[in-house]
Amino acid sequence: MKSTIMLSLFSLFLLAVILSGCSEVSAWQRGHLAKPHMAVQPHPLQVVLRGHIYGSREAALASGANEGGGGCGCY
Amino acid sequence: MAVVVVVTKPSLQALTAAALLLPGLLHQASVFAEDNEVSFQYGHYQEGQRQLYGVNSKFHPIEVNSLHGSGQLSLTDRIKFAFNYTEDTWSGATPITTAPLAFQGNRSSAADGISGATPLINLNGNIFVDKKYQPLSQDQLTGKLTQNSQLVHTLSSASPETRQQGDFNLSYEWDEITLSAGGGISVERDYESRFGNVGAQFDFNHKLTTLTVGASYTDNWMHSRLDHDAAPYLIKTAFANQIQIVDGATVLQGNKYDWSGHLSLTQVLDKSSLVTADFVYSHSRGYMENPYKAMSILFVDPKSLNGDPNARGARIGEVQAFLEQRPDERNQIGIGGHYIQHINTLDAALHLNYHYHHDDWGIDAHTFEASWGQPLGNGWTVTPRMRYYSQTAADFYAPYLLSKQAFKKITFDRFGMPSEKNYDPKKLPENFSSDQRLSGFGTISGGIVVNKRFSKGLSLEAGFEYYTHQGGLKLGGGGENSYADFNYYAVNAALKLDLFALGALHSATEHSEHHHHHQHAPVPAGVMFGHLMNQSDQWMVGYRYMYQRQAGDTLHGTEVAIDNAIVRNGCGHGRKARCQITPAEHTMQMHMLDLMYAPTDWLNLMLMPQFMDMDMNFRSLKGGIPSPHTGHGHATGGIGDTGVYALVKLWDQSIHHVHAGVGISIPTGEVGIKLRPTHRTDPGYIHYGMQLGSGTWDFKPSLTYTAQIDDWSWGAQLSGTKRLESHNRSGFAFGNLFQATAWGSYRLFDNISASIRGLYTWQGAIKGMYNERSDRPSPMDWPRNYGGEFWDLGLGLNAHISQGLFTGHQLSFEWLQPLVDNVNGYQLERDSALSATWSVTF
Repeated sequence: MKSTIMLSLFSLFLLAVILSGCSEVSAWQRGHLAKPHMAVQPHPLQVVLRGHIYGSREAALASGANEGGGGCGCY
Repeated sequence: MAVVVVVTKPSLQALTAAALLLPGLLHQASVFAEDNEVSFQYGHYQEGQRQLYGVNSKFHPIEVNSLHGSGQLSLTDRIKFAFNYTEDTWSGATPITTAPLAFQGNRSSAADGISGATPLINLNGNIFVDKKYQPLSQDQLTGKLTQNSQLVHTLSSASPETRQQGDFNLSYEWDEITLSAGGGISVERDYESRFGNVGAQFDFNHKLTTLTVGASYTDNWMHSRLDHDAAPYLIKTAFANQIQIVDGATVLQGNKYDWSGHLSLTQVLDKSSLVTADFVYSHSRGYMENPYKAMSILFVDPKSLNGDPNARGARIGEVQAFLEQRPDERNQIGIGGHYIQHINTLDAALHLNYHYHHDDWGIDAHTFEASWGQPLGNGWTVTPRMRYYSQTAADFYAPYLLSKQAFKKITFDRFGMPSEKNYDPKKLPENFSSDQRLSGFGTISGGIVVNKRFSKGLSLEAGFEYYTHQGGLKLGGGGENSYADFNYYAVNAALKLDLFALGALHSATEHSEHHHHHQHAPVPAGVMFGHLMNQSDQWMVGYRYMYQRQAGDTLHGTEVAIDNAIVRNGCGHGRKARCQITPAEHTMQMHMLDLMYAPTDWLNLMLMPQFMDMDMNFRSLKGGIPSPHTGHGHATGGIGDTGVYALVKLWDQSIHHVHAGVGISIPTGEVGIKLRPTHRTDPGYIHYGMQLGSGTWDFKPSLTYTAQIDDWSWGAQLSGTKRLESHNRSGFAFGNLFQATAWGSYRLFDNISASIRGLYTWQGAIKGMYNERSDRPSPMDWPRNYGGEFWDLGLGLNAHISQGLFTGHQLSFEWLQPLVDNVNGYQLERDSALSATWSVTF
């Protein structure tokens, strides 16, 4: 488990270094990125609802952001 | 078990906000849109029927109703506050164990033979297996044995249960760093979790790179009442020191702690694409079992080769049900990536996600997701999406276990004295579970989200998803067999209000009109239909919360009834009709959405959907027959009735105003809720007052008078409810209702006023009765114990915001104190009621 964690963190770090050097997007070029459907989570309400259902039906940690709670889900 | 909690502020909005915070790039309004939003969402989850291989089950598949309200507010330029309130109510059938069909797990313990009462997990009899320990089915007529290794879930149903969760998050933003902290609590009848979290977000590289880190801690306390019928035969040895007998019920308690850490990196790749990478680690320790899942273990003594003459050559086995056992520790990691590409030609957004999960229970899971966000013009956006998920089984998962030893054996010593020898627990695995969530399977789901944004800052969102869980869909094959397959669909609808857009609208209106035309005479929070908007094309969106509690003595008329009288007279007449229990506490919460539109200056149209939840606990009665219903309560929740109304201006003068309301209450609330079978009987319908609606179409007229002079205002209202049908589909109709109220209010400060109100209510008893047999052990189960005359005093506060971002918002609270109850029959006395409303006019 520890080696998997270290490997994951290292990969993330490597990705950060590689990617951060590769782009140069000026402020006035970010119009598309600012559109609502380009948001990383365009539908946060849907994600919360679906995340709770997946969490009570599947064993994996839900992907994306978890905002907390959830309770037992014992059904 | 519990959904593992990982809490960080989503990095997503960070990036979008970063991009948005560019002067002159976009309209300023959208900068604040995501930070100043209030939303309400309703969701419904419905599972399909399970495959039971010919068993006649009357269980309904599980369904969940969810309500979610949330708000994100900018308290200052740099301080943001977010809150969420979630309520889920679920009921229906769910697997409690898995076993070969030959074990007859879904066979009913009730006399009618229909599976629907508590199913039997253990057979209390012999099971035959062949030489290879494969289960054999015996034909009941011929006695012939045939191999039958078909597996099946044993289903049991749950009475409605409700979970409530409240959480908040507070954040402070510097130019390139944001720190946040939050916490919350989730409460169920048998489970409580409290959680706290901290997070930080760092922007680098001209906000092209965003790093988010977070950590959270969750403390869970489980205290579950085991099924009354199953508890005696469930083997609970492993949890002996966690079990207590409370009020005659077997209660299993456990604690669990979760720590988690989260790291996320978002990088803009070019002007049309970006990518995120996530890492999450979670460590859990403590009781991680699902207390409602059992493992069927087949004990076969290898020396039992004899037995029944019809079963020569077969071995005899015995099935026992054990509470499942899981490891006390779990470490999970997840790593994922998300790529987003803008498609210029269609102005669409393509989202591709992948997530990998690994844990030390032996579960590896992969999730692939794709969605396409397509704006269609006029504020419409549609987003179709697909998802594929696959997981391997946990190391200790098995549908059922075989143990090659006798469960109990009589041996004789050399003197011929018999002694009983029990099974050797060391020959069983340390951990075992047949929970389908821990099996190997794959799922495919697909759905669509439709958004419509209106010009005044109001948005509607609706979503649909269909999901299929199949062992055959597992990546690489080898998943659980098809008996465990199931499907569900989920639908939801949400309303979102962009407070900044509304605020901007107000400033514009005020500048042009130079007066605060929205400020009405304040009306106490408990009064409905009190406001009339007097400008055409005006909208109002509001939320109304009501809480009512009954507790204390049981009344008969205006007097306190002694237990003996309740026993003899509260539940019908004659020796057979005697009350066993009476309510000790009854609470009701109502969440109502208040949508109002003024097509002209004299007419307002209103739509009021509502979500209800109720809770009731009982006590035993002195002199009554002891009942298994005491010591635990009943809960219900879900959509209530939906109101559609019109308010018409009758008289409007500078001081005095009169308007009338007419409308219909549509019976969208459930009136057929039943309790789960237990104590080997089927109790049937729950108490009348615990149903979520009236079940009848109701006419609701009202007449309201309001007046205002300087700081003083006053008003009065007559209102009623007339049932338009003699009975609903469950066979009864609630009594008609009449209310008269009058109030006075004084402005204490510029925007805050206080009110005092008197309220008289008359309601008739229930007409008709349930059209199916149901247990009636308490006064709440008898129609004549409903209605009466009631007098209340209300004290309220009302705030109207007339400047800043929240211009046009109104908040009000009212505490209603019962003064006199004159009840029909025998009823629990009223304790208090609280009303709170929030509304915004634009």
